[in-house]
Amino acid sequence: MNHKHETWGWMLAVDFFFAGMGGGMLVIAGLADLFLGIGMTSVLGNLLGALCIGLGACLLVLELGRPFQSWRVFMNPKAILTIGAWSMVLAMIAGIIFASFGIGSLPWSDAILARKLFAVVSVIFGLIVATYPGILLARHKSRPFWTGAGIMGLFVVSSLVTGAAAHIISQFVFDAVSSIVKSWQIVDASSSVVLKGLPYLVAGLLILQLILWIGYIWIKLTGTTEREALAAQRWMSGNYAMPFKGGFLFAGTFLPLVLVLLPGNLFKGIGALLVILGGVIMRLLVVYSGQDRTWLPGEQKYRSRLPIGDEAFLKAWK
Amino acid sequence: MTRYAMVIDTRSCIGCQSCTVACKIQNNLPVDMIYNPVTTVGPTGVFPNLHMAHIPLLCMHCENAPCMDACPTGASQRREDGIVWVEEEKCVGCKSCVMACPYGARVCNHEKGTVQKCDFCFDRVDKGNVPRCVQTCHQKARIFGDLDDETSEVFKLVNGEHAVRLLDELGTKPRVFYIYGLEGQI
Repeated sequence: MNHKHETWGWMLAVDFFFAGMGGGMLVIAGLADLFLGIGMTSVLGNLLGALCIGLGACLLVLELGRPFQSWRVFMNPKAILTIGAWSMVLAMIAGIIFASFGIGSLPWSDAILARKLFAVVSVIFGLIVATYPGILLARHKSRPFWTGAGIMGLFVVSSLVTGAAAHIISQFVFDAVSSIVKSWQIVDASSSVVLKGLPYLVAGLLILQLILWIGYIWIKLTGTTEREALAAQRWMSGNYAMPFKGGFLFAGTFLPLVLVLLPGNLFKGIGALLVILGGVIMRLLVVYSGQDRTWLPGEQKYRSRLPIGDEAFLKAWK
Repeated sequence: MTRYAMVIDTRSCIGCQSCTVACKIQNNLPVDMIYNPVTTVGPTGVFPNLHMAHIPLLCMHCENAPCMDACPTGASQRREDGIVWVEEEKCVGCKSCVMACPYGARVCNHEKGTVQKCDFCFDRVDKGNVPRCVQTCHQKARIFGDLDDETSEVFKLVNGEHAVRLLDELGTKPRVFYIYGLEGQI
């Protein structure tokens, strides 16, 4: 049933995906640098984390009705979207500076204390960027599928797992092009760590993500309001069931869980790509599920009868 | 201090949509934008005991307005008299308020790229008039006034009749109250 009602579109979902993945990449890169040692993730991966957040921010701007006025979203510090916008900017700056320490030809690359400081800042703001879409959605009391703190955990875990997968893919690309950028004297000990250690992290996070999703849907179906149960039913047997079960659970979770643990870089690479695909599908489904609002008496019937925009009489009017 | 509110007596509303049309004309709205829909519930029951109600919907001008918390630009504001309004100059069309509003009261103007809503016709109210929908309603189903004025009809209805608020459980404290027939049944 079509309803003439405005909701967020695919661009915001893809913004959440890129921002989350970028935030996850910064968190992993920063923690690896702080606790495992310098150069444990590829410079390309560290840089891509910040660039992904930037790409997400661009999509957020394009989603606006007045993109040229986008600077105004920084103006209300009480709004979650404003906090998210500031966090994205700060994470991007911290991430780029942190990544630059990996390029040995730059004069500040030896400043270890500064590098560690920016690693900490990257972790903090990366985590905020990875978390804020979940907080933003969780506060919508009238959107039955979103409301509640559970969705925040789903976004954090998805951000971390897609971030780890993106580091694996970045490592493959970096290894392929490292001879070309040899003159940059890149500080790098990452190949063995990323390709041996991160697949296990990805597998662990995928298992956690699976448990959280099963719990989330089950709680929505059984333990909350009738409206939330109805919204969750769409994920089990309604129009979201196929992309959720086939796309996200099977292709984006089960299959990569097996692939990343198999020996051979090809399997790990395909597994990492599938994790990222799963992250995109999840964001799209979650954002579109926000179309389910708590309806007022008679409102659903009323809106179903309104023109949806492509009717001949509406075009003729314009 | 003035606290504007509206009471809608669904026992009187006949679902003629006059308020919807008057609102569109007053606010010069494009053809696909409605601030002020009137929904219909029913008919319910078994003949001859049938019942049908018409529910005019509009911005509830909530005391705890989720749209204001969600607005990243500060375009969504509340006046001292409680009227929640959107400053068009500041609105960037991010739809945060549209998603946050539990009442579906906000609509996007695709021509301007902004979000708009009912503002209780505050330009009319400031001149001592009532909102256009209230003036238009020939059944007197809409009553507008000051909740802090003990002599106002709004005050008497809210405190005397069984006036309820939509989705009261969300804690938004709407300033629009409904009086239902048949012992509160819709």
